[in-house]
Amino acid sequence: MMRGVLVILYVVSAATFAHAQQRPDISGNWILNGGKTTFGEWHLTDAGDRRFKAYDFKKDDPSLKCIGSSWTRVWLNPNVLVKITQNAKDVRLQYEWMDIDRRIPIVDPGALRPMRSVPIPMMPALGTSVAWYDGDALVIETRDVAPGYVSTMQEWAGLPQSRMMRTIERLSLANPNLLNINITHVDPANYREPLIVNITYPRSKFELMHYGCDPKDAQITEPSK
Amino acid sequence: MAAIQRMPRSPSRANNVAALSLLAALVALTAPVRAHHSVPVNFDQSKEITITGKLTEAKWINPHSRFRLDVTQDDGKTVEWLVEMGAVNTMRRAGFEIDKFVVGDTLTIIGWPGRDRERTMLLRTAVLKDGTRLSP
Repeated sequence: MMRGVLVILYVVSAATFAHAQQRPDISGNWILNGGKTTFGEWHLTDAGDRRFKAYDFKKDDPSLKCIGSSWTRVWLNPNVLVKITQNAKDVRLQYEWMDIDRRIPIVDPGALRPMRSVPIPMMPALGTSVAWYDGDALVIETRDVAPGYVSTMQEWAGLPQSRMMRTIERLSLANPNLLNINITHVDPANYREPLIVNITYPRSKFELMHYGCDPKDAQITEPSK
Repeated sequence: MAAIQRMPRSPSRANNVAALSLLAALVALTAPVRAHHSVPVNFDQSKEITITGKLTEAKWINPHSRFRLDVTQDDGKTVEWLVEMGAVNTMRRAGFEIDKFVVGDTLTIIGWPGRDRERTMLLRTAVLKDGTRLSP
């Protein structure tokens, strides 16, 4: 009996060790500067298409109020740093853009009610997240989101996010100095198929800086005379 | 049209602002408008323009820093130009020394004209009064 328990403990320990060995080392500073971004095709539902067409960048863009509208939007901001710190029980992602500080518990993805991250203050569209390691990737799952926009930039501006949105981010290393971020958006209220976004972040020698966005400075301005 | 794609760089000759304003207005009529935070949508990267004027405001802020310049046109009328650029964090990392930009100084700005707003541009290079050139 005792021998059987020891064998089980050994197997579990070995599996845990092997799992830890596979964990990617993505800690460090990264910046979207010269990195590549690709959006997969989006297949909107009728309701999603109406929301997309109704988007008005002059008043609907949450970043005009210094608010992140989705995790993809947060990752898409160029030339600002993201600092990643991997800990035993959580992972911390500090986004320079809008000073977003994200601490996500590392959980067993099979657990019934894993502890989720604390919501980001004033940014309900970013929901709550859990994370786990899957082979060479850190996986982050997010739900409990408020309506928002997957992107407010370029031709993707206004792609909607509903409360049903579930977002899966997979962070892995293309090489020691290049971080791949693969994001899958599943939102049956707005999309007939998952929307997939790929973003790459080169490693950066810069340090994190305070952002300090003030909504009165984030507005669209015009020459005055 | 071709004559105003590259404006004169000398401060003494950089005053064809009326033509540039007309160009910006024409482009605005045809350009798609989708997003505020998007360089290719908001600025015409196929055209480089140069303005020279007196710096009246320098706001070093996030998410977008900006200058306001008083520019004298060929007809003698002074108009304001709004020069947008990246976040102050980005500009600092690019080597922009904020205290070198002094209100009242004459600056030359080279950049891309706005598509949907008159007398706006995105800074690509700033030329200080001592000739120092800075690019983000």
